Amino acid sequence: MLNHCIILFFQFCKFSVLCFGGGYMLIPLLTAEYVDREQVLTMSEFGNLCSVAQVTPGPVGLNTATYVGYVNEGFFGALAASLGLIVPTVLIGCSAAAGINRWKDTFLVKGMLKGTRLAAVALIMFAVTIFLGMSVFTQTIPWEAFGALFKLDYPVLPEGFRVSPAGVLICGATIALMLKTKVPTTALLLGSAAAGALLSAWF
Amino acid sequence: MEMEIRTLSRGRRLLLLYCSFFRITALVVGGGLAMLPVIEEIFVVKRKLLTREELLDMTALTQTVPGIIAINSAVYIGMKVAGVPGAIAAAAGAVTPPFTVILVIASLFPHLDPKNRYLLGVFAGIRAAVTGMILVTGCRMFRRTVKSPLEIAVVLVFFVLAIMKVSPALLILAAVPFGWCYVLWQTRRLARAEQANGESSKVSAESASESRRNEEGGKC
Repeated sequence: MLNHCIILFFQFCKFSVLCFGGGYMLIPLLTAEYVDREQVLTMSEFGNLCSVAQVTPGPVGLNTATYVGYVNEGFFGALAASLGLIVPTVLIGCSAAAGINRWKDTFLVKGMLKGTRLAAVALIMFAVTIFLGMSVFTQTIPWEAFGALFKLDYPVLPEGFRVSPAGVLICGATIALMLKTKVPTTALLLGSAAAGALLSAWF
Repeated sequence: MEMEIRTLSRGRRLLLLYCSFFRITALVVGGGLAMLPVIEEIFVVKRKLLTREELLDMTALTQTVPGIIAINSAVYIGMKVAGVPGAIAAAAGAVTPPFTVILVIASLFPHLDPKNRYLLGVFAGIRAAVTGMILVTGCRMFRRTVKSPLEIAVVLVFFVLAIMKVSPALLILAAVPFGWCYVLWQTRRLARAEQANGESSKVSAESASESRRNEEGGKC
């Protein structure tokens, strides 16, 4: 128990140090560790967990960490995970706030930033593919139902390429609203939750 | 107002930091960047503890150092206002509300019916929205970060490696030495280009003066 909590703490210290570019970077790191390697979570559980983390107030990374810790080891696991996420940040932040202006133009800092940012972009793209697999290319609401509704002959698509119409609708609407308007995130999430419930009731 | 804050006792300042960040993370849904406007309102407009320039510096810094942006901001502002204890107080304030809320939700979660279709629908809907949000964030990062065809190629290589299940931690670590080589190569290239530019402008200046001399010679 204590051992596990200490392991969790250090795992999250590692994630915190590697987490360049915000909380979404945790998604590939966490799936690699807990879904692929240790298999304490399934991909779909992980998806639910991220949804909860996104809807509840607070930074996404912190919410996800608390939740993963809780799933692993209960209350103390949650405590260990969120402490693990914070402690390196406090250490690095306190030293960086003093020295960053002197260091930021050196080649070591610039190179590290350039490299890690490129990697961060690639890993966030990877996180998008993970989430596309869970929301759009899934059969929560099967394509057949959509075809039957409009009396269409739907193409028979191979497994893994079937598209959930509800997923496409909500995902597309979210992207459009985020790019074209200034709808607050909260409203987007509540709206999509309601839309999801309605669509699943309809089909 | 600033004087008032400066004369606040240390304990009061720590309390102010803790409460402010408690409020910010308790009310703001979404990532750390969504917190920025709220931080600006509390610390720049209302309390006048930071200037707008300092806030801009902070935004740059929070995206430079590793860690989630929300905690980075809390730590930086805490440092500014009350030193290291301030940083700890602010971070603790930022952590408390999400920690409590998630604990409550996580303990309720097993009691929900996993076959309830409305519940499944709600989750499917939120997942789809989150997909869109990550996609938009990713595209914005791409536009800000990637500036040449070579960099696009590098991002693609990292992406393919990630899909082939190379550990993301390893990828980030490998990116650091790559970044050093890249920046070194870039500065060398820039220096060389500048040198070439300098030479060519010298040449053109010489030729100009030469032609002027020729003209003068012609006049003579």
